Amino acid sequence: MEDQAGKNPQIIGFACSFCTFKASEMAGSLRMKYPEGVRLIQVPCSSRVDPAFVIKSIFEGADAVFVAGCHPGDCHFIKGNYFTRRKIAALKEMFDAFSMKEKLRLFWVSAAEARRFVEKVTAMHDEIKEAKDAGKTN
Amino acid sequence: MQAKPIKDGALERALDRFLSDDRHLILGFEKGDDGVRHRIFHASLDRHTLLNPFFDVNGALYLRRLFSKGAKVMLLLRPCEVRAYHELVKLSQIEPEGVIAVSVDCPGTVSSKDKTEGVPLDARGLADYFKDPDRMRPACRTCGERRGVVGDAGIRIDKDGVSWAFSYSEKGDSFLALFDCDSDAAPPEMLLGESPKPETFQTDMEQFSRDFSKCVLCKNCRDMCPVCYCIDCLFNGDEYLPKGDALLNKVLRTGSEAMPGGKEMFHFIRMFHVSQVCVGCGACEEACPQGIPLTKYFKGISERLQGMFSYMSGRDPGETIPYLTFLEDELKDAED
Repeated sequence: MEDQAGKNPQIIGFACSFCTFKASEMAGSLRMKYPEGVRLIQVPCSSRVDPAFVIKSIFEGADAVFVAGCHPGDCHFIKGNYFTRRKIAALKEMFDAFSMKEKLRLFWVSAAEARRFVEKVTAMHDEIKEAKDAGKTN
Repeated sequence: MQAKPIKDGALERALDRFLSDDRHLILGFEKGDDGVRHRIFHASLDRHTLLNPFFDVNGALYLRRLFSKGAKVMLLLRPCEVRAYHELVKLSQIEPEGVIAVSVDCPGTVSSKDKTEGVPLDARGLADYFKDPDRMRPACRTCGERRGVVGDAGIRIDKDGVSWAFSYSEKGDSFLALFDCDSDAAPPEMLLGESPKPETFQTDMEQFSRDFSKCVLCKNCRDMCPVCYCIDCLFNGDEYLPKGDALLNKVLRTGSEAMPGGKEMFHFIRMFHVSQVCVGCGACEEACPQGIPLTKYFKGISERLQGMFSYMSGRDPGETIPYLTFLEDELKDAED
């Protein structure tokens, strides 16, 4: 790997098209900014995210991944995000077993919560960047 | 608990009675000149043996995509094989109507890669032989359920070496009915006790990379895994392990010159995909030509992930696989 010190972390986000992706669009129309390294992938429902997508992102160079969907109980497909919760919680447990828990996050963001989306994503970006810079100086 | 003692060739008589119907089969173990192997018995019980201390393949693999009705198949297999059979039933890969699954107490097995001479074939001899756990395969050393308490019926061995047939379901009752002796109270303590709780598995990526650096991506571990059943496996296409044009396209499109880190990703994804159904039989490690300690990772992760949902794969055919169901009020701390 080439020297990446000082580079912005690359974060892949899987965003449910009914809530989180709408929130990101709203954040755009409100002229709110979120970090450039964050790349959103629109999925029809957060439960569409096979943990294989997350693992592939990590192994192909992403510094961190988040999966974001509607709040539990608000799923457009009634119960999709309950399955997401189980799968991603288990995946986090697995990442924890490999001592890389910080690489995966799960957010619940509704379509109206543009500010919350920006705050969550920015906080995540800053923490990953901090950890990455600290790792480089050692 | 009531059970039937199996003495003086009672098992052979019972199984012969079962095989007297032309549509009845038994999947069990055959004693050969050079070891013990799986075999289907039809009409005759020639060279049948109950215990198999040599592990090569998980027998549930032979049952995948068994949908025909009419024939009756009796499984006389190890607990890990019966548990894998249960998981495949839950995943709709086996039609259980004509299957009677009988789990037999398993004192442990040696790897087919190791020397197989001097291994006894009877239960008490095996229990003595495996007093030294280093003789066992890693998977058996950390086995979560070696007692024949899963399936429709079980054959358990008591401290004197006498076998007992237990029934756990209606089909199990029909298995017990094959024996011509009367039920009796089984002794409270059997040769094999409950397994200890496993420790929480913890490792890191450096260790993982070191252990898997020898992997040649032959995918034998996937092919021999009894519960890794997808016909359209993710790794058969070009999306996850690109080669040829797809590899060039990927390099040109993404600008990444590194060879794809395929093997680590392959094992990581497979580890998650089988996490809730893995029975920890160690067939993957048995199939690995490179001697990678796959059991340590696959079993460690699956025990940890199944523990989250208080689930144990194959323990109870009535349980639902955790990823296929949910509770509304759970995992409150899942969100970051």
